Amino acid sequence: MSKDLKFLVVDDFSTMRRIIKNLLIDLGYPNVEEADDGKTALPMLQTGNFDFLITDWNMPGMPGLDLIKAVRADGKLAKMPVLMLTAEAKREQIIEAAQAGVNGYVIKPFTAETLKEKLDKILGPGK
Amino acid sequence: MSSFAILKLEYSACVEALAEALRTEDEKAFFAAVDHIVHMREPGMFTELRKLTGDLQKALERFSIESKLADIAENEIPDARARLNHVISMTDEAAHRTLDLVEQSGPLAERTAKTAGNLIDMINAYRAQSTNLQGFEGVARSIDAYVPVARALEAFLPTARADSELIRRNLADVLLAQGYQDLTGQIIRSVMKLVQELEAALTDLSRLSGDVVEHASMGENSSAGHGPAVPGVTKGEIATGQTDVDALLSGLGM
Repeated sequence: MSKDLKFLVVDDFSTMRRIIKNLLIDLGYPNVEEADDGKTALPMLQTGNFDFLITDWNMPGMPGLDLIKAVRADGKLAKMPVLMLTAEAKREQIIEAAQAGVNGYVIKPFTAETLKEKLDKILGPGK
Repeated sequence: MSSFAILKLEYSACVEALAEALRTEDEKAFFAAVDHIVHMREPGMFTELRKLTGDLQKALERFSIESKLADIAENEIPDARARLNHVISMTDEAAHRTLDLVEQSGPLAERTAKTAGNLIDMINAYRAQSTNLQGFEGVARSIDAYVPVARALEAFLPTARADSELIRRNLADVLLAQGYQDLTGQIIRSVMKLVQELEAALTDLSRLSGDVVEHASMGENSSAGHGPAVPGVTKGEIATGQTDVDALLSGLGM
C-alpha cells in the first residue's frame, strides 16, 4: 500500500525538496513529485493525482498555510493528509496551522526518525 | 500692551536723548545715546545670529548624511543585494553538490552490504553442507562445493574495493563542499557592516529631524510566515524543538 502512495512535496528551496524526496524514498515511498510554492502546488493537487501533501510554510507566491486552507476548502481535497514541515516555530503559528487542519507539524531542522514517526502516525498502522 | 508699544516706550527715551544731543551739539551725549541704542538691539541680534549659525551647521550635517545615504542607496545596497544573491547560489550549489555525492554513495554502500550478505549466506550454507562430508570423496565434493563461493568472493572483492574507494572520494568531496561556509560568512559579515552604517546614518538623520522613531514590527502578517526563529531576535513564545511542538499539539488533541 505505502509504495503506491503519491506524495507532493512543496518547498521553495530545491535542496530541501531533494532532502525530503530522498528520505521518502528511503522510507519506501518512491512516488514523489515537487512544487516550489502553493500556487504551483494547488493545480497539481486538483488533478487528483496525489494522496499526501508535505508543505513548507514560508514561501513566496502562496505560503503553505494558505495552501492548506485552500486544500481544506476544496471538496475533493478536504480529507487529504497534510504534513507541515517548516522552520516556523512560534506557538501561535503552530496553533494556527492546527486550526487550519494540518495532520502533523514538523519543525526544521528535522530528523529522518521524526519524519517517519509523523508519517506513520498520520497514515496509521500497516500503511 | 503690544510688543511695538513696549519697543516705542523703550526707544523713545533714547531717541529723545539723541535728538537733544544733536540739538545741543553735545558729541559725548550723542555717542552715548547711539551706544545705548546699539546695546539695546544686540541681544536679539546675537540670538538670531546664533540660531542662523546653528541652522547652517545642521543643514551642512544633514547634507553630509544625505549624500552618504544617497551613496549607500545608489551603490552599496545594490552591491549588498548582489552579494546576498551570491550567498544563496553558493549555499544552493554546495547543498546540491553534497546531495549528489550522497545519492551516488548510497547505492554503492548498499550494493556492498547486500553482496557481502549474500556471500555470508553462501559461506554458511557451504559450512553446513561440508560438515557432513567425509572421506576422499567427501573432500572432493567439499572442494567442488567451495568453487562457487570462491568465484563469488573473487568477483565481490574488486567491486567492493572500487566502491569503497569511490565512497571515500565522495566523502572527501563532501568535506570540501563545506568550504562555502567560510566564504558566505565573510560576505554576510560585509553586508552586516553596511547595515550598521545605514542604521547609524538613519539614526543621525532622525536626530536632526527631531522625529520620534517608532519601531515598526516586521512581518506581522502571520499567514506569510516569519522564517526561522533567530535566538534573541524572534519575539513571542517559540517552540524549542519537536518535543515542544508535539506537546503543544497533543494539548490541542492532535
